[in-house]
Amino acid sequence: MFLALKEIRKEKLRSGLIISMIVLISYLIFILTSLALGLARENTDAIDSWGIQNITLDANANVDMRQSLLTAPQVGTLTDKEAYIGQASVVAKATGHERISSVFIGLDSHQFVAKKIKLTTGHMPQTNHEVVVDTSFQESGYQLGDTFKLNADNTNYKIVGFTKNAKMNVAPVIYGQLSTWSSLKGTSSSTIASAIVSKNINYRTSSHALKTYSISKFINKMPGYQAQNLTFGLMIGFLMGISLIVIAVFLYILTMQKLPNYAVLRAQGIPSKILVGATVSQSLILVLSGLVISSILTIITAISMPSAVPMAFDIPILIVVGVGLMIMSLIGGLIPVRSVLRVDPISVIGG
Amino acid sequence: MSVLSIQHVNQFFGSGTARVHVLHDVNFDAKPGTLSLIIGPSGSGKSTFLTIAGGLLTPTDGDVLFDGQSYKDTSKKAREQLRLDSIGFILQAYHLLPYLTVADQFKLVDKVKKLHNLTPMELNELLNQLGIQDLINKFPNELSGGQQQRVAIARALYPDPKILLADEPTAALDTARVKVVGNLFQELAHTRNKAVVIVTHDIRLKEFADQIYELRDGTLTKQSTKVFV
Ligand SMILES: Nc1ncnc2c1ncn2[C@@H]1O[C@H](COP(=O)(O)OP(=O)(O)OP(=O)(O)O)[C@@H](O)[C@H]1O
Ligand SMILES: [Mg+2]
Repeated sequence: MFLALKEIRKEKLRSGLIISMIVLISYLIFILTSLALGLARENTDAIDSWGIQNITLDANANVDMRQSLLTAPQVGTLTDKEAYIGQASVVAKATGHERISSVFIGLDSHQFVAKKIKLTTGHMPQTNHEVVVDTSFQESGYQLGDTFKLNADNTNYKIVGFTKNAKMNVAPVIYGQLSTWSSLKGTSSSTIASAIVSKNINYRTSSHALKTYSISKFINKMPGYQAQNLTFGLMIGFLMGISLIVIAVFLYILTMQKLPNYAVLRAQGIPSKILVGATVSQSLILVLSGLVISSILTIITAISMPSAVPMAFDIPILIVVGVGLMIMSLIGGLIPVRSVLRVDPISVIGG
Repeated sequence: MSVLSIQHVNQFFGSGTARVHVLHDVNFDAKPGTLSLIIGPSGSGKSTFLTIAGGLLTPTDGDVLFDGQSYKDTSKKAREQLRLDSIGFILQAYHLLPYLTVADQFKLVDKVKKLHNLTPMELNELLNQLGIQDLINKFPNELSGGQQQRVAIARALYPDPKILLADEPTAALDTARVKVVGNLFQELAHTRNKAVVIVTHDIRLKEFADQIYELRDGTLTKQSTKVFV
């Protein structure tokens, strides 16, 4: 520690360069992680807010709610732990506003999902011309009481409430009544919903035409969801690998330059554990300071980022990422330790 | 009794046709209170001799005893401890850590060897004697070659070793400084009872020596012994 601190203090420029490199790499990784998380959440936020365990769809719908239609006989009787969901892709339009591609979710107001929706303002729809929308509508200029039309339909729908983080498939959600969904979808009278969701983990459909999926399976099958996560996962993984190499190379060069000095110390009987300690604590100090600075940068970014940017700053996940970087750089810092252990005191004698 | 006794040491480097015989049946004793000077030209084996004396290199043949105990019977770790406690090395190059001030060079020794180092007062006196007391807060790159060499001498003396092994300690010094350093080494031997061994090609040190040896092509021969009254 003594040697490490002294060296960092003397070699301010060199240490500063390494720290700033670590800052840049870890900041990049933090931001990418937050972006990945933010995008992933825009796929699933609405579903997460329902607090459901499984979802039942048409067995032929390929685990896609948009392709699924259920009839009353198929569904049978439900308990209060199940609820109907009617999904339709819609475009909201109103004069003076940009069109917003959205997901319409029709709910039965007596069932648990409708009761679970938390509003920031207003109330849940009471007629089939009333809707509750995601707060991103607010950011697009809509206010409570404003109306819009959906698709080619001429009906005016009135915004009676706003709800936060209502996103599905990276689009804002419009909550309305199940009967509104039926008319939007133009379905026959026998179809009653797109899906049945349940908060009972043991719920299984009894119909052969339907199939019940766990919520994680359903989410993973969402279009683009896995590809997106895989892409980000790979990017973050590669960055971790690159940071390992970069940090290792820098620490290696740093240590190599000191080997003649270390050889003298070895000749003078200074135990190698002191020198290894100096090398390792030097890497730790550099990496930790880099991580602290980039965390501060990330916090500043989180505060100043407009909410339209899909970023989610999840502290536990960022800590895991930070620890991962820490481990990577420790591995990088251990490579030159081998050379420190091998340093031959004889090499400096003789001149 | 000798602090260091080198007995019938032969050293070879390389193998086959590249095999060189660097030290030929070298015998040498370093006694407390004696300054031994080994003079030899470049490449004669001086540094090799010191490496073997300090237990850094095990000779191809022969034996080295420190305080009567053979290095052969001493573990690597124990030899390392011996170098920390009892052997003061003054090396030809790279003596000082570039990122430690002069004061911190001594502090580092305190961190590793907690006891029996020079007291602050003794250190101060030593630095005064060497004329480097004002350089205490400077980094090595802010010192001249001669100043660095004197700091290195102080660094080697700081743990209060029994024996001092010095490789060309006066190479970067002018004649006036050679006198200062020569007197210091002499005083260390005579008043503090250290065994001092200096290998050098600097004949200016001859006047301070009690025993003078010549090392030529790996053969050590005793030249003269001053008798002190
Ligand atoms: N590890 C080694 N392998 C092969 N040959 C070596 C090795 N170390 C030293 N030698 C050879 O041994 C001889 C003596 O080397 P040494 O370094 O002891 O000389 P020196 O007297 O200290 O010289 P200088 O005054 O230039 O420092 C030289 O010829 C050198 O080339
Ligand atoms: Mg030499």
